[in-house]
Amino acid sequence: MPKGLRLLIAKEVKDLLRDPKILIGLILFPALLLPLMGAAINVSTWSTIEKASGNLTAYIIDDDGGSVVEDLQRYASENWINLTVTSGNPADVVKTLEGGGTIVYVPAGFSQNVTSNTVGSLILYTNFKEFSIVEFIKAQRVSDLISAFEDAVVKNKVEGSMPGSDPNSVLNPISVEHESVIKGTAQPISPTLLQSVVRLQGLMGPLVIMIVLILAMQVAATSMAVEKEAKTLETLLTIPVSRLSILFGKLVGSVAIALLATIANVLAFTYYIGALTSQMSTGAAGSDLISLGLVPSVQGYLVLGLTLFGALISALALALTLGTLSQDVRGAQSIIGIIIVPVFLPTIFLMMGDISTLPAAIQLVLYLIPFTYPVLASQALITGNYGPILLGLVYMAVFTFATLYIAARVFSTEKVMTARLAFRRKGRREV
Amino acid sequence: MAPIVVIRDLIKEYSGRRALDGVSLEINEGEIFGLIGPNGAGKTTALRVLSTIIKPTSGYAEVCGKDIVKEGSAVRKLISYLPEEAGAYPNLSGYEYLRFMASFYYGNGGEIKAALAEGERISGLGDRMRDKTSTYSKGMRRRLLLARTLMVRPRLAILDEPTSGLDVTHAFHLRNVIKSYSKEHDTTVLLSSHNMLEVEYLCDRVAFINEGRIVEVGSPSGLRARHEAANLEEAFVKVVRVA
Ligand SMILES: Nc1ncnc2c1ncn2[C@@H]1O[C@H](COP(=O)(O)OP(=O)(O)O)[C@@H](O)[C@H]1O
Ligand SMILES: [Mg+2]
Repeated sequence: MPKGLRLLIAKEVKDLLRDPKILIGLILFPALLLPLMGAAINVSTWSTIEKASGNLTAYIIDDDGGSVVEDLQRYASENWINLTVTSGNPADVVKTLEGGGTIVYVPAGFSQNVTSNTVGSLILYTNFKEFSIVEFIKAQRVSDLISAFEDAVVKNKVEGSMPGSDPNSVLNPISVEHESVIKGTAQPISPTLLQSVVRLQGLMGPLVIMIVLILAMQVAATSMAVEKEAKTLETLLTIPVSRLSILFGKLVGSVAIALLATIANVLAFTYYIGALTSQMSTGAAGSDLISLGLVPSVQGYLVLGLTLFGALISALALALTLGTLSQDVRGAQSIIGIIIVPVFLPTIFLMMGDISTLPAAIQLVLYLIPFTYPVLASQALITGNYGPILLGLVYMAVFTFATLYIAARVFSTEKVMTARLAFRRKGRREV
Repeated sequence: MAPIVVIRDLIKEYSGRRALDGVSLEINEGEIFGLIGPNGAGKTTALRVLSTIIKPTSGYAEVCGKDIVKEGSAVRKLISYLPEEAGAYPNLSGYEYLRFMASFYYGNGGEIKAALAEGERISGLGDRMRDKTSTYSKGMRRRLLLARTLMVRPRLAILDEPTSGLDVTHAFHLRNVIKSYSKEHDTTVLLSSHNMLEVEYLCDRVAFINEGRIVEVGSPSGLRARHEAANLEEAFVKVVRVA
């Protein structure tokens, strides 16, 4: 590496890392904010669950007075729900209850119907005031109690009519086990579960790629704009260092900072997602791609690396070229705001599915955007569908060299100093 | 002895408008040469062409016999340029900034240390060298940048309006540094200014530039005498009125 380039990279990293805009905005903020949000979600869900999961009091208005109602009350108290008897018109009484308060209304003839093998009806009245999670959980608990009681009644009936038999096998006479064959090996996992695992992984790849690209572009454009704003570029152009070294110093410096920022973001994001999913037990716990035999191939990683590298370099060359047009950091940020659109479009469209299922026009647009290919490559790690990507590699190579060439042209001429967007009227300039 | 800078028929156009309109000049080794003229005369453009930042539309210029267009990187090793509007990296300290800049010129640590010591001395900033340059006043930043320009012992120092916009004390410091440094090291200095009195004090020879053309060249005393003027300001006005 030429000495000038080494010095420039070192300066770039040092200067950018000390820049509060970069350090706080791109690294510390996401690294702290996302876990904080995750923690907040954790705390609030747990406190909610605690509130709703203690002993619960619900009410019962019994116009039946039969034996099944007595069984229900006993069953409820065994399950931490106290069914307090009250009276009156249930639709009126329920209005006087607190939020989530529930009345089980038992019409006359209920016990008679249940014991004579016809359907006995109940009506659950619940009072909703705030629509809070606590209210829903309380209502759900009473409803779940009735279902569980129903199961118990059924099992009782089965035992009564078929003495000596196991009610569970009578009620579930067929059991199904899944063997999903993944890349030639059978795995004990259901298609539904497999789908949710694959989806989650297919979602993370494109998201991370989008984060890296956008961060790198922001860093590069900012560093170029800082050079202009602080009026250091002109001096740099007259010291004994080549213009290409200046360009590559910025490229490599931005990549380094972007990688740091990405690590911070991804760690934070993973923690956040972890906090979210720990609340929703999907049953998919423990099933990751590797243990399912979905091990991505070395060639797959190579293709992903190549497309990602190409996308990163071309995105940075674009950002640096456009960065020379701006006079200050604010200008650079607004330019980046526009050119990140082609970066997040592929992620948005491909995150939820397969490119071949999209309308033809959108497919065409996506194939024309070079930043689509790393996203496709990350999905191909799982699907093995490399068809369109290999052609895309050629296209990406051309695009990368073209953007680099343009950036090198801009940097090696006086345009790097004099170019500017025509925000101001032509001819007016302060010297 | 051959002149250190030779400029012949230099023309620079910005989208058809001529900022430099056939400039020819020679500057001798060891002298302080002043380019003086009003705002928009073409001073900055001329210095930028000579510093290899921008390319001339036509014409020729050389520094120490090196063509500024064809041998740009050789020229950059000989010159050191202080732009009119320049800053330092706001997140580096003055000391780090000087060390960063010196590293481009020297191969070994000893030489870099020597240049740094020289830079610290020239700047006169003392302990403030350890602070981030974003905390500096305009005058302090200008002193740091002049130190950066001179510490690398250039054959030719090109200073664009070195004292413009500074208060009296900082301007005074900078002028004295330029003058004594040039005499001490026999360094050639090309500076621009629109402050005629400053130029009269500093320069061995001056050129008047107006609307992209050199209208007069000579020593300050020679020009005063030739135009029967009390000072350079008066001489300039007389020349421009005639031209
Ligand atoms: N980048 C540029 N694009 C177009 N015109 C410019 C540019 N830079 C300078 N000029 C014009 O060239 C002329 C000379 O400018 P300059 O060399 O900066 O003058 P000075 O330094 O003597 O004040 C001015 O008319 C100025 O408007
Ligand atoms: Mg000027």
